[in-house]
Amino acid sequence: MGRYALRRLLQAVPVVVGTTLLIYWMMWALPGDPFAGRCGERACPQDYIEAMNAQFMLDQPLLVQYSAYMANLVQFDFGVTYNMVPVSTLIAQALPVTLRLALIALAVEAVVGIVAGVIAGLRRNGYFDTLVFVSTLVALSVPIFVIARFAQWGLGVNLGWISPTVSNEATWAELLVPGAVIATTTTAVLARLARTTIAENLRADYVRTAIAKGLPRSRVIGVHVLRNSLIPLITLLGLDLGSLMVGAVVTEGIFNINGLGGLVYNHILRLDSTVVVPVATLFVLIYIFANLVVDLFYGVLDPRIRYE
Amino acid sequence: MALNLPDENERPEDRSPLLEVEDLHVEFRTRAGTAEAVNGVSFTVDRGETLAVMGESGSGKSVTAQAVMGILDMPPGAITGGSIRFCGRDLLGMSAEERRRVRGEGVSIIFQDALSALNPLFPVGWQIAEMFRVHRGASRSEANKRAVELMDRVHIPDARRRAGDYPHQFSGGMRQRIMIAMAIALDPGVLIADEPTTALDVTVQAQIMELLAELQEELGMALILITHDLGVVADVADRVAVMYGGRVVEYADVFDAYRRPAHPYTKGLLESIPRLDQVGSDLQAIGGTPPSLMDMPLGCAFHPRCHYRRETCVTTPPPMYTVGPERASACHFYQEVLDDHGDR
Repeated sequence: MGRYALRRLLQAVPVVVGTTLLIYWMMWALPGDPFAGRCGERACPQDYIEAMNAQFMLDQPLLVQYSAYMANLVQFDFGVTYNMVPVSTLIAQALPVTLRLALIALAVEAVVGIVAGVIAGLRRNGYFDTLVFVSTLVALSVPIFVIARFAQWGLGVNLGWISPTVSNEATWAELLVPGAVIATTTTAVLARLARTTIAENLRADYVRTAIAKGLPRSRVIGVHVLRNSLIPLITLLGLDLGSLMVGAVVTEGIFNINGLGGLVYNHILRLDSTVVVPVATLFVLIYIFANLVVDLFYGVLDPRIRYE
Repeated sequence: MALNLPDENERPEDRSPLLEVEDLHVEFRTRAGTAEAVNGVSFTVDRGETLAVMGESGSGKSVTAQAVMGILDMPPGAITGGSIRFCGRDLLGMSAEERRRVRGEGVSIIFQDALSALNPLFPVGWQIAEMFRVHRGASRSEANKRAVELMDRVHIPDARRRAGDYPHQFSGGMRQRIMIAMAIALDPGVLIADEPTTALDVTVQAQIMELLAELQEELGMALILITHDLGVVADVADRVAVMYGGRVVEYADVFDAYRRPAHPYTKGLLESIPRLDQVGSDLQAIGGTPPSLMDMPLGCAFHPRCHYRRETCVTTPPPMYTVGPERASACHFYQEVLDDHGDR
């Protein structure tokens, strides 16, 4: 398993190089001059533009720029933005916020999605099952920004239970509702997946054996059925952790949360690749890592899966 | 918990049979209609006895076993009539909790496909030990110890080391032995073996049957052997119940049934066995197809395929005629069938 993990991590190297090169190239290919509009009403002096171009090596060929940039990146030197703010500072501010938001969303998905799905799967075609079916249908069909606006208006403005926007500290409590909003889609998918998986496993032969062994129903479900149903659910959750970290730009925008998603978005608009590339690299690494953890977890959950 | 198993020293006349199934009816209600899977099955089995339940696919033998175990899928299945008594207690009238305790402790079952019947995600030793932990409240180490002993008892080599292995790491025969170990863990009165050897190759089949016979002798339990393998029946069974279309059509001592069948279906089954002294001749198959459970023929269910068919067979379902001591046949013309077979 150790060798397998190592091989998977080594496979990540070409993936990171490929994606960063692609992102770098796309930022470079965006039309417009990042330094042209920075001096208010009047045009920027040519000296300034040339000095900035030289500092950020924008006068060099693309591959030279990229190599120099990556050389710094592997030494954990993220450089400064075009505004001379250290990129590492920006990431250090945004990452904890995104992390908190992602963990809240993940917790909501795991608890609400799995519990609702399992109960629906156990009592198929019952009252609760219908309720889950209808509510997941709603959650999947309404766009996330509508849900976000609705929560903000209903809970924040109308009822006053939450503050409509999140403060700069972005505390756990403040992020609760935004996190739940971000979680809606995956919660709905997870609930449906859990329902189907449970219903399928209930018909499995080993469940019949467990009943024939005279085990109480709680044990049959809680130990035998649930354990066998976990793999697809863990897969979905693991992959979703990746996309949650990438951030929900729209939801963050609505609730005024300064997370990684918003950070990237704002700097794309400013044509500032100094932030976009390292954060995108971070996304890639998080995604690869989340996938690896999920894959390694299979081996723990299912002894039939072996790593060579 | 004590199940009040009958005392060995009790006077025999006080004792009801260990397991007594009477006029059992099971239906499956589906959108396509109601299927009468079991239609008035009765049999008894006692300690130390082996009853073979024989019949083709869809004859209701496995459904009967599931009804006795209480593991029928309900719905769509429903027990619509009859009684199942174990040690004189009515299993169908019990609370769910009482019924659960009888499973594994009083009556247990092994299935055809041990690979899918064992939970793939838990070590086999753990799955056996679960019996002691749940039913007896044994500690983890005590339960594991008993599990290893049981694996030894069903002749799994190197049991202590292999207890930590998972089902997929065993061969088919070894997996069935693990199922057996689990089923006999609590020393049940009745063991139901639902086609235990069908999925195994022939040499392994023999070993498993030998093991079952050996365990039955040691433990003195009753064995209900569900099979369509006529050879297996001849080897190990004391009595045989032949099922067709959800009914027991012949009930007899295995020796009598094989020598002089009293039902045309039993006769057809026996004649379909390829015989070494008739090499080169065509195989004797029973013509026609088994009836649909959704749409049973009126009268005798077997009449469309029967050579002895008369007007009565089409109109009147035959009762169980008593043919002799401990022997019955559901055929209006059993006497003719008996007489025909005298020359075999």
